[in-house]
Amino acid sequence: MWLYDKKTQYPIKITKPDPRMAIAILTQYGGPNGELAASLRYLSQRFSMPTKEAKATLNDIGTEELAHLEMIGTMVHQLMDKVPPKELERLHVDTNFVIHGRAVYPSDSNGVPFTAAYIESMEDPIANLNEDLAAEQKARATYEYLLSIADDPDVKDPLRFLREREVVHYQRFGETLRIVQETMNSKKYF
Amino acid sequence: MDEQTTLLEQIMAYDFALYDLQLFLNTHPSDTNALRDYKMALEQSENLRRQYQNRYGPLTARYLPNTTCWQWINDPWPWNNKEV
Ligand SMILES: [Fe+2]
Repeated sequence: MWLYDKKTQYPIKITKPDPRMAIAILTQYGGPNGELAASLRYLSQRFSMPTKEAKATLNDIGTEELAHLEMIGTMVHQLMDKVPPKELERLHVDTNFVIHGRAVYPSDSNGVPFTAAYIESMEDPIANLNEDLAAEQKARATYEYLLSIADDPDVKDPLRFLREREVVHYQRFGETLRIVQETMNSKKYF
Repeated sequence: MDEQTTLLEQIMAYDFALYDLQLFLNTHPSDTNALRDYKMALEQSENLRRQYQNRYGPLTARYLPNTTCWQWINDPWPWNNKEV
């Protein structure tokens, strides 16, 4: 089980509101390559992982993704906080406003609600780990897109941190895939 | 039930009491009886965790036993039956 720590994984302090950037970043909250999907994917897949290294990796990265979800939610909140409705209308993010106000809701940037259809969890650990590698690369690409449209250093800094974490996760999943393959091969032949 | 499971289930009971009191205290932040109960359960839980981790290894990755090998990954994980 989990114990909550009253801090974010990396510091976030955004003082300049930017509702359009908030809606862009929102896809990493509840979109197809977002942190909620990542967390649910790994925390569900861990139950059928065959080695202790794989169980630990999926458990711990699945947990870290929840901390990333919190970081993204914090960014969306700080970018949207107290922006007047008329300003939201002028910036064309009023459709989101009339549904949710300035709250953080798990959807992608187009308002499509989160769905578990974004993830898979199979008994085959090789299938899962290959999906996880693809997911990390897709998340990294999304952070690259977000960085290419962001200007504020207070926004870019945490986005860069999150992009680097996807790179590290990709690396660890690659190692895990090799460990699982080696274990399965040795069981088959000896 | 073996000794390890007995000790773990004692920790689970104290930790559950702590969570339940935490929720109560969130809406009753100046209830002195609940505060006293929380303090007692916290001391018990910390004491039992120390005993458990010394004997059986980490309950969280932030416990580092005096060994040359990273024990955090060791089986069983909570979703495994004991004989993995
Ligand atoms: Fe990740």
